[in-house]
Amino acid sequence: MSERIDVLIIGAGPAGVAAGIGARREGAERVVVLERDWDLGGILQQCIHPGFGLRTFKEELTGPEYMHRFIEQAHSEGVEFRTNTMVFQIDRETNTVWTMNKQRGIEALNPGAIVLTMGCRERPLGAIRIPGTRPSGIYTAGTAQRFVNMEGYMPGKRAVILGSGDIGLIMARRMIWEGAEVEGVYEVMSWPGGLRRNIAQCLDDYGIPFHLRTTVTRIHGQDRLEGVTVAEVDDHMTPIKGTERFVECDTLLLAIGLIPENELSRMAGIDIHPVTGGPVVNDLLQTTNPAIFAAGNVVIVYDLVDNVSDEGLIAGASAAKFASGRIPKTARRIPVKGGENVRLYSPQYVTGETDATIFMRVTHPIEQACRVFAEPGLYSQRLRYARPGEMNEVKIKAEQVRNLPELEEIVIDIQPV
Amino acid sequence: MNYDVVIIGSGIVGASIARELSRYKLKIAVIDKASELPAGASRANSSMIHGGFDDKPGSVKAKFCVPGNKLWHKLKDELDVHLDECGSYVCAFSDDEVRHLETLLAQGKANGAPGVAIISGDELRSKEPNVSPEIVAALWSPEAGIINNFEAVNAMIESARINGAELFLETRALGLMLDDKGDVRGVSTDKGEFSAPVVINAGGVHSGEIASWAGDNSFRIIPTKGEYFLLDRATKGFIHSFLFSCPSKAGKGITVLQTAEGNLMSGPTATEQDDPEDRSTTPEGLAEVLKGARRLVPNFPVNMNITTFAGVRANTESGDFEISVLAKPRGFVNVAGIKSPGFTSAPAIAEYISGLVREEFADRLTFTPNEKFIPERTNIPRFLYMDMDARKALAEKDPAYAQIVCRCETVTEGQVLEAIRRGARTVSAVKMMTRAGTGRCQGGFCCPRVAEILSRELGLSLDEVTRHGGKSKLLVGKTKEFLLKKEGVRHE
Repeated sequence: MSERIDVLIIGAGPAGVAAGIGARREGAERVVVLERDWDLGGILQQCIHPGFGLRTFKEELTGPEYMHRFIEQAHSEGVEFRTNTMVFQIDRETNTVWTMNKQRGIEALNPGAIVLTMGCRERPLGAIRIPGTRPSGIYTAGTAQRFVNMEGYMPGKRAVILGSGDIGLIMARRMIWEGAEVEGVYEVMSWPGGLRRNIAQCLDDYGIPFHLRTTVTRIHGQDRLEGVTVAEVDDHMTPIKGTERFVECDTLLLAIGLIPENELSRMAGIDIHPVTGGPVVNDLLQTTNPAIFAAGNVVIVYDLVDNVSDEGLIAGASAAKFASGRIPKTARRIPVKGGENVRLYSPQYVTGETDATIFMRVTHPIEQACRVFAEPGLYSQRLRYARPGEMNEVKIKAEQVRNLPELEEIVIDIQPV
Repeated sequence: MNYDVVIIGSGIVGASIARELSRYKLKIAVIDKASELPAGASRANSSMIHGGFDDKPGSVKAKFCVPGNKLWHKLKDELDVHLDECGSYVCAFSDDEVRHLETLLAQGKANGAPGVAIISGDELRSKEPNVSPEIVAALWSPEAGIINNFEAVNAMIESARINGAELFLETRALGLMLDDKGDVRGVSTDKGEFSAPVVINAGGVHSGEIASWAGDNSFRIIPTKGEYFLLDRATKGFIHSFLFSCPSKAGKGITVLQTAEGNLMSGPTATEQDDPEDRSTTPEGLAEVLKGARRLVPNFPVNMNITTFAGVRANTESGDFEISVLAKPRGFVNVAGIKSPGFTSAPAIAEYISGLVREEFADRLTFTPNEKFIPERTNIPRFLYMDMDARKALAEKDPAYAQIVCRCETVTEGQVLEAIRRGARTVSAVKMMTRAGTGRCQGGFCCPRVAEILSRELGLSLDEVTRHGGKSKLLVGKTKEFLLKKEGVRHE
């Protein structure tokens, strides 16, 4: 018989720590957060630059500072943490969670509810199939960030950055700060992947060239990276002949996208959304297995950690409710549909049991006044613009849903006005 | 350093010969310029254990392929390596190609390949539902299999070492040393002289050049690049075996297979080139592979690709293996031009070479059986494949097996430590011995962790750890030191 745990949370990054707090506040007695690293905080441990928590704390914090505040809160709320503890299997029939830890060995846990907060991982080079050699000196931006900020070592002296995701932009600046050169940032799309503020603060302020519609087409170097070929691309993202240029560098950092990390979710047998890459969830952040909840970047990749923490609080609270039998089995399941320019969104279902925030991203930028809305007449908000790199929100009150007992679907969209 | 036999090259051929010769009380040195194994064509190939129908009866290849196949089915247990005994299909899309299958069938029978048979396209699709509806027939070869080639080479050389052979990595052969009679005296290398009356050239793509050191210019190696896609292990079961196209002049054509570990894979191209070390992938090559893969498996899920790679194989003008003992200088053996089905043939070639050496060089060496020869060797524990009780027991015995290093392939710290104990010195050596870094994040998660363990265990600083030896250091220095140096500030 395994020990009694009401809510078990997998991953002690921003989503998991907040989920712990949410679960305790909602009355769960024993709340345990498992973390595979030796310390709490997830990826924010290595995000030592400022810019976190503007929404939550109304001030600019570094990643570790932001996490520290949540971890302190979690400790005072009585959340238990286990570090150096990896979940390597979830059995789909029994919801048994298998963990390993050097001191405790291999254990099976059977909690009242599970919250998945494993975050996301970076897309590797192989995902975009760039031809050439396979030398050292090619890292995802996050791996390089770990080397520089956590281990204190430099990955190289002259870097090219492929992709303009936020970590890549942050790392461009970090490389400059540490005395390296950054030849440029290359983005295959016509718009940046990261936040505008990071383009300004990390590239423009340091004179780092930013090339849109340009990509790396070839890797050179046997042992160590010696350079890359870059080329402009056409509307189909095919390199344009004659635009190739050799760029000498010893480091290539990749910021070509983030993928929710759902190996465990798949093992657990819950539905994964083909577009978000994360679990299909309702507004309680309940997955298609009623005892399993999910929050943060494991569900959909957010721009801001504040959103991740908010979602963590919700998922933790919902899990606590479930563990004590307080989520009605008859809860409604109203599907959310996206309009033409909506690339992805989450949650995909609304219950009417709680106020819901639906996070969404557009496929193509709208560089003019536009309106984000939810039909039938549930929400409407004017925007100055809408960009793929910056999420939008739709807010729907539980009461609105309750007042529409015949409601069969909700359609969200963004259109120019 | 004095040896009885020096083997140049520690690919599957050199390693197999070393193991076979270690059945005798011989002092054996295996030298290889690489920092980790496997390195050459043994590293980047289709990992196929061929059924033996593809080689012209009477050829050297035909002589060794079927016996090699049989040996691998035994060696997989002896050496504890993954061999998926899945069989293979050659797929025919037209009547012409069906006639080709008939030729292959006849060849297979002549070569003694067991169980080869032609089946209908529908029968193939009942086993492999994802293959093209346009395939009309297939040649089924039940004895074909797919091996974990990383494991197999390491297992083979480890077994040789258990039985006394010595391995020298990062040791580049520079020339042949001859005595006053003009016979073999040893090999000079960048790490000094290796004296031995018998030298075996298992130099793969460099075997032509090595043969020329002995004055043998009877054959030429044509470095031939093969490019591949490797997909996420989540594709497991998409197909279950090895699918060939009908061969053309260029080679066996593009294949689609499921690796011994469950990754979908496709390749190779066959592009002749001058540079034996150019293992870069190309846009044209990858496009050709993708086209060929989609011909066999129309919905080949290339969006789940995790890496592309290329290998360079040692093609010969004759198209056959070049195995010979030179009359002059005495003591020199060529095991050259070993390309497909080289991996399959290697153990049979090794048995043959052992016999040949005993017969030819009784004047140069004494062959006393090594009664202490141990054929078995056990692999580093594979946590991923263990049942829960075995995992618990292992973790209880050694807590390092309760710490995950590679999340994609569920590789524990215990496995990484064991790989280092068995000789891994680089991040990719650890990868090939444990699979850490072979998964969908391609080392994004585990590379810093493996590097840290290597640095700790080998007493290196982190910026001395390399990806694959040579100048492939992962890092270029400490952060602040680097900045100060750049700004010309001197450390006190």
